[in-house]
Amino acid sequence: MECSILQTNIEKRGLVFDPRTKLLLLLTMATFVLGGAGQKIGLGRLVFSSISSCLCVLPFVLLLASKKKKVAFTYAVLYLVMLCVFIFVTPITKGLLNFLILGTAGIITRFLPSIVLGAYVVSSTTVSEFTAAMLRMHVSEKLIIPLSVMFRFFPTVGDEFQSINLAMRMRGIGFGGKNVGKMLEYRLIPLLSCSVKIGEELSAAALTRGLGGNVKRTNVCEIGFQIQDILLILLCGAAFFLLILSTFGML
Amino acid sequence: MKKEKLNGKDLMNVGIYSAIYFVIVFVIAMLGYIPIFMPLICVIAPIICGIPFMLFLTKVKKFGMILIMSLIMGLMMLLTGMGYYSIIVGAISGLAAEAVYKSGGYKSVVKAVLTSGVFSIWMWGNFIPLFTNIDQYFSTRQDYGQEYIDTLTSIMPLWMCPVLFIAAIVCGIIGGLIGKNLMKKHFVKAGIV
Repeated sequence: MECSILQTNIEKRGLVFDPRTKLLLLLTMATFVLGGAGQKIGLGRLVFSSISSCLCVLPFVLLLASKKKKVAFTYAVLYLVMLCVFIFVTPITKGLLNFLILGTAGIITRFLPSIVLGAYVVSSTTVSEFTAAMLRMHVSEKLIIPLSVMFRFFPTVGDEFQSINLAMRMRGIGFGGKNVGKMLEYRLIPLLSCSVKIGEELSAAALTRGLGGNVKRTNVCEIGFQIQDILLILLCGAAFFLLILSTFGML
Repeated sequence: MKKEKLNGKDLMNVGIYSAIYFVIVFVIAMLGYIPIFMPLICVIAPIICGIPFMLFLTKVKKFGMILIMSLIMGLMMLLTGMGYYSIIVGAISGLAAEAVYKSGGYKSVVKAVLTSGVFSIWMWGNFIPLFTNIDQYFSTRQDYGQEYIDTLTSIMPLWMCPVLFIAAIVCGIIGGLIGKNLMKKHFVKAGIV
């Protein structure tokens, strides 16, 4: 069976990180690359742009370390091409063309790293590991269960949506066909009804594993911080430390 | 009414619908990079999300489920770089939505439509930084290009802030109505609800 990019394959994972490290990394990425925190004019701008560039390289390294070479190189090539477009093409274009190119390149360079990192986190963490990590962080079970179900469910929603999309396109319900108005209804409703069904199966499966019982659950996953985790945490910590310094005007 | 604790099944329902909801919001939010669509997110997203949300409400029978979903949306927004405002707004609007639906005994269809409107307020939370500190907002988004910034500034004057707030509620209600009708058409007949 062909494995989709979001599904976890436990056997050949390569370098493993603690889920907590991955979450911290996602947050750091969201703050510095997506949110562009701290990028003001002057020295701060230089410092934080270099931080965000460093962070953009990370998904590539992580993907390589987890033996997903194809995705890693696709990401690297796409990102570099967009970056080159952004740096070299935008100064020589004007008007609408400039707007379009700048918009596309700027948005892709900003979003791609986080999206790829997100896909990496989802694909390299099993639900069990995720739950174990959340339990260690003393998050309430009321949040753990929905979050872990979401974690498990994202790939499913994607898969189902793709299949529904194909089926509807075959029936001529899409942008090209005559039934544009029905596009939404004919996609959302099947998606919902199959999600309801999958959801019911999922809860039955989880109940047999004792989810939602009164007893404290145990977990076989061994998670813990290794050297690679500490390195990443230090990196994220340093970035946030600099951000705090700059907020108080010391940079 | 007897106070019941949320069990595993309820929480899993929250997870499933949050996943669907978030995927839809995420796809729509991508449109925001065409400047004119930015304020329209507050219109389109609640309408479309009303459909899964109404189905979700049929599963809600206990206190807390709507609030948890609202908080999860806030968390996801934090992780996707929209800032922390949605969590704060989401906590309040989630609680309000919870209260509205509870007042209908977790059954009333009219209250469910209203709940869908109140719940949609969390989306407005994403826009707060645009109004409170627009210069700072754009100082971190220089690479979108000056034209994007100019266009967005011109279509987002300060009076848009309450307008968007109301738009979110109204469109949430419209979404709820559409969701109600679609549910009647598809799910009640099929026996899912």
